Amino acid sequence: MKTLFSAIILSSLFLSVVACKEPTIDEGILPLVSAATVDADGGAWRTIVLKSATDINVPQPAATTSDTYQRELTGIKNGLLSINPEQNTAVTYWADGGVRRWNQIARQLVAKYNLLPNYLTPTSGTLSSTDPANPMASPTFAARVYALLSVAQYDALVVAWRAKYQYNRPSLETQGVISRVPVLNVPSYPSEDAAIAEASYQLLAYVFPNETAWLKTKAAEHKQSRLWAGACVPSDVKAGEDLAATVAATVIDRAKNDRFSAAHDPNNTWQTGLAKSTYDVRWTSLENPVLAPMLPLGGRVRTWYDSTAVLQAKPSLPPATTSAEFQKALGEVRDMANTRTREQWRIASYWDDGIATYGLSGHWNFLAEGLIRDARQNELRSARTYALLNRAMQDGATASWSAIYTYFVPRPSQMDASIKTATTIPNYPTYVSDHATIASAASTVLAYIFPDQATQLNAQGIEAGISRLYSGVNYRFDIEAGANWGNRIGQLAVDGAKTDGAK
Amino acid sequence: MRSTAYTAVILFLISIFSSSIRAQGLIDGFMRGQRKASLALIGSQATYDMYYINTTETRNPNLGTVTTQAVTLVGSYGLGYDLDLIVAAPYVRTEASAGYTPKQEGFQDLSAALRWEAYDYKIGKTRLSWLFAVGYSMPLQNYVNDALVAIGRGSQNLDGRTMLHYKAGSFFITGQYGYIRRGQVSLDHVVNTYDPSQLNPNSGTKVNVPDVTELIIRTGIKTKPFYLDAWFQQQTPHSEGTNIGPGVPFPTNAVGFARIGATAYLRLVGKLGLTAGYSATLSGRNIGKFTRIDGGLVVGL
Repeated sequence: MKTLFSAIILSSLFLSVVACKEPTIDEGILPLVSAATVDADGGAWRTIVLKSATDINVPQPAATTSDTYQRELTGIKNGLLSINPEQNTAVTYWADGGVRRWNQIARQLVAKYNLLPNYLTPTSGTLSSTDPANPMASPTFAARVYALLSVAQYDALVVAWRAKYQYNRPSLETQGVISRVPVLNVPSYPSEDAAIAEASYQLLAYVFPNETAWLKTKAAEHKQSRLWAGACVPSDVKAGEDLAATVAATVIDRAKNDRFSAAHDPNNTWQTGLAKSTYDVRWTSLENPVLAPMLPLGGRVRTWYDSTAVLQAKPSLPPATTSAEFQKALGEVRDMANTRTREQWRIASYWDDGIATYGLSGHWNFLAEGLIRDARQNELRSARTYALLNRAMQDGATASWSAIYTYFVPRPSQMDASIKTATTIPNYPTYVSDHATIASAASTVLAYIFPDQATQLNAQGIEAGISRLYSGVNYRFDIEAGANWGNRIGQLAVDGAKTDGAK
Repeated sequence: MRSTAYTAVILFLISIFSSSIRAQGLIDGFMRGQRKASLALIGSQATYDMYYINTTETRNPNLGTVTTQAVTLVGSYGLGYDLDLIVAAPYVRTEASAGYTPKQEGFQDLSAALRWEAYDYKIGKTRLSWLFAVGYSMPLQNYVNDALVAIGRGSQNLDGRTMLHYKAGSFFITGQYGYIRRGQVSLDHVVNTYDPSQLNPNSGTKVNVPDVTELIIRTGIKTKPFYLDAWFQQQTPHSEGTNIGPGVPFPTNAVGFARIGATAYLRLVGKLGLTAGYSATLSGRNIGKFTRIDGGLVVGL
């Protein structure tokens, strides 16, 4: 009897273990927050691609006393009572912040497309960097996506803010509508969410043409969700959509002429550059089979900040491989590879953000997201933060790329094949470290916007750079040169931010 | 009875080894006997130059041949005539012959299992027994788990299984079926890859390791000084998992395989015996196509 009893207990334990199902990846749900400020002067903030917010004329809305408006308002009020669970999910999802949500979507798409042809899996060999429908992502590509997206969002929102306070159509809350989620108390016309949705959709569809249909669905859901939420009426959405379409077209126009489309070097001119390099040992690919380097002309992409100022700071050639200084640097990488601690491995892995991820610039967008949320920045301010951060990071990527393909300095493992790395060796030359450049540009900008977190952000910027030494893929001089350069670029962004009208 | 104790140990240890070279299931059908103990020290080497991406065989010139060596200490003790405790701890080193992936080395997972013989029927001169076992394993140190060349997956595992063991003279056959529940692991970085079902990329560093079911059939002969068996083992991912790919965290991969192998044991003198084994992979999923040899010493106490 006793054994029978135990058999039942054991069997039920066994079954209870079998019965559990688990998701592959968990995600947390954060509470919704209301923004800290309304920034009524936002319409006067300096735009980036537009000359000013006045470039775009937002038509005068119908008066709130008009029949048209009252019908719209009644529709929203009635709709509030009848939304279904799916609509409610959409309402909550987008209420977290349109700018942040579209930034997340952009990170997902960058990760999706951040693939090298023939990398690890022979079956993925169909991806080609020359196919515009399958844009091979890279650090420069990723940084550009985030920059274009946040610039379009920011310019569209400045235009929207200007029209909001120009026409002052009262928010729905002041008209007795109890919204389902916290809504920023600003004039409702034009809808900032519709502006964000349309600008983001247009930009991302330009960069990822194969995702157009999916993005369009997301944008439609975003706009609709604000009607379901009771945040605005359809004419607010329409106006936001229209102004953003014009802004997006302007930003896409800039993107078409920023020389990125030739960055993958269709004519293989990089070999000429390699021959011209004055460094005593030249880079070769460590991939087997050998791959062409990543985006050789990525350093010629148009910068957001003054290109002379950006490129003037280009560091000079590092010490020759025969010098004692170089040998010391190589020895440091070798020692690191041989004695790497678990913590150093963790740091290398934490900041790697390599192939098939949203990239290091995506990682900084992820970090910024937390800061923006904690600071309870409204949509306009969020877009400004991202636009400052991402322009600096793209310029950082462009800058480091220009040095990488000027000097063609070999990776440590090329100089000493015994150096094993904690993360994959990027398939491009080593000097300067794009990681250090991007990270220090990012931390400089974020430390300015979030002064309370400056100490931590600067430490993170330094750690992201030194992680490449821990990994064994960069020399210390790559990282130091990159970090100095990144700081200079970050400072250009900060100087601009000080005078853009935002307080 | 004593020789069975040794063989049980052998089979057990080959099994627990390394989650990437887990060979033969948790335990066999032979009970230790009350207050009988044994200790075994086994060395093994497993190699592969092909691995499976999902179920497609792949050769990677940036990896070459991966060799995993391990030394495992296994102890077992009969807590009662129908209840055994088995404990194992391996030290593992794994290394790739090409490319720039570093070798990994260290203590892997500590495993412990309780095996209970619930029923024992006599059918003429033969015997049929029905057993249950629960096992638990946890990493002995925070080793690197998110790499193709790694000593383990770093998860804590709970293992429940049942088995039928039939013995006729020196012949035996055992069938067992189990479920291994694998706990979450922390990556060194935030999840930063594309996952279509994961709309919000702010998922932190924790990921789930897919659970597996396991089927093992083993048959052979066992006499006092000698033991020989042949076995088939199949692990099948139960929960949803990913496939090996650039950027994909290795611990979330759905890992499965089908292997065959053989084990031999020979008693030398007194309480000292020798063991040897061989196994090969028939098919796999997100794992190396291992072939494996092992050998060791078994001491009854």
